[in-house]
Amino acid sequence: MILSAVVEKEFRMFFRYPLRVISSILVGIVFLLQFVFFGQAVLGGRYSALLEVSTGMGDYPTYALIGYVLWWVSVSPMEAYVWGVRRELQRGTFEMNILSPAKIVELLSGLAISWLLMDSVLMMIVFAIGVVIFAIPLTLLIILKSLPIVVASLIAFLGFGFVFAGLVMMLKNIGPFAQIFEFAMLFFSGVFFPLNVMPKAMIAFSKLFPLTHAAAVVRGLFVGKGYLEVWGEVAWLLVLIPVYWGIGYLIFKWAERITRVIGYGGY
Amino acid sequence: MYAIEVNNLKKYYPKKIPFPFRKVEWIEAVKGISFKVKKGELFGFLGPNGAGKTTTIKMLTTLLEPTDGSARILGYDIRENTREIRRRINLVAEGERTLYWRLSGYENLKYFARIYYVSKEEERERIESLLKLVGLWEKRNDLVMNYSRGMKQRLAIAKALVNDPKVLFLDEPTLGLDVQSSIFVREFVRKLVDEQGKTVLLTTHYMAEAEQLCDRIAIIDHGKIIALDTPDNLKKLVMNEDAVEIRLKGNVPEETPWRLAIVERDMESNVTVLRGPVDEEELSKVVEWLVRRKAKIISVEQKEPTLEDVFIRLTGRGLRD
Repeated sequence: MILSAVVEKEFRMFFRYPLRVISSILVGIVFLLQFVFFGQAVLGGRYSALLEVSTGMGDYPTYALIGYVLWWVSVSPMEAYVWGVRRELQRGTFEMNILSPAKIVELLSGLAISWLLMDSVLMMIVFAIGVVIFAIPLTLLIILKSLPIVVASLIAFLGFGFVFAGLVMMLKNIGPFAQIFEFAMLFFSGVFFPLNVMPKAMIAFSKLFPLTHAAAVVRGLFVGKGYLEVWGEVAWLLVLIPVYWGIGYLIFKWAERITRVIGYGGY
Repeated sequence: MYAIEVNNLKKYYPKKIPFPFRKVEWIEAVKGISFKVKKGELFGFLGPNGAGKTTTIKMLTTLLEPTDGSARILGYDIRENTREIRRRINLVAEGERTLYWRLSGYENLKYFARIYYVSKEEERERIESLLKLVGLWEKRNDLVMNYSRGMKQRLAIAKALVNDPKVLFLDEPTLGLDVQSSIFVREFVRKLVDEQGKTVLLTTHYMAEAEQLCDRIAIIDHGKIIALDTPDNLKKLVMNEDAVEIRLKGNVPEETPWRLAIVERDMESNVTVLRGPVDEEELSKVVEWLVRRKAKIISVEQKEPTLEDVFIRLTGRGLRD
């Protein structure tokens, strides 16, 4: 009931501002196009034998589109926690929510799920446009096979996002910090380029991001591999989910305790 | 059992966020206050800005962790039983930004009804009766951003009644409202107590509001309760003193003589009002003192003692100093 109330409220407010919807789609497409065209320019065309050797997928637009869509969906819960809570603080409505008997975790999850749903709708539009523009070979079976991995990646970041929810309650303005993390994820998860071009230490570090493994699995499925062939990456992903939730929970609880001392007050 | 029982409640704020291993200095906002509010009582917290009124309300509504002391709301401990308390209370917070401006009045109440677990069957009926009660039923589908300030405050009150609270906290409920809206809010709050038996704790720095509305008043200053009684009993403290009000135009001496305090300052007309207990013998000396300092006196009037005089007597300052 709490979740549906928050989702309904957020949807109403989001779609009452159509310009935001349009600008989100445009920004998403422009961001994708520039990376794909830049990649193609560097590779000397759409197909790269080098990319295929290192990742198993030689078609650069498909490679980039998968990474990009997964990155977008993965950061959306974090964006929701950071900007969703911050907006509530700015409006002065955050304390009014905390004052209710609803659990804070339910309220925040509602915010994250709302944004996730809204972002998913926008992302699907961008994905569909990307598929058409770059003539990506896509079948319903590939989409269905990829969905559990997309969901697993999402679940990991839904839990980890609580780190940011806690920090934004405590520090009020952590947008720039969250963006550093989001772009670190973009860099270390092989969204636009294969990870093996990086130094060994950085490759090892990239294993700590669930998105690295989710992208590797989905790309494998796109080139016709089965789950058994990518089980190593799936295992990494499944191990990281509880780790990310654990970190998220502990930091959130600590930040919540401090916030009750300093106050939830807004701006 | 009392509706509200507060025992030596203290709140210190850290100057910086208290990260582990960081040495932090603390500011004392509430320095150990104690009071009890009976069920069905309208209890006022009167004090200047920064006295600790809002901090106290935030602790009692479980939004802030007290540093020390204890408090019970309807018998529930504010530290241990936050959810039980939250089900039974509500708050009209200071300012107009406590609602969703991009939602309509009806949608706001619907959202808050849901997060207060009001059942679906009751939801519609309750929202309708509340919106009618505050006179916003006709405007229920308008976005809150298009409401006037008075309408927003009426909606904030309706929102605070959505869970049918036993105890209602109001933090400066008439701040910034026009006269008409202020009268509506005051009458409405009094009715909630008289007709529905709700317990109300309100903070204000408008003495007339406190005097007119409250059954008992606690005067708070610098985080401490300096007096607590009925308005009539409080005024008895200054009953034998002559209250004088002096209006000045232009520059006002930095230090005011005797026990006169600045109680009003109108920047637009550049008029300042001084008030305090000055007897007939002293009055000519006061006027002479002001004239010597080139103060332009507009009027000198003898007034009936009010709570403002009680505050001046107790603190040596006006409420809006």
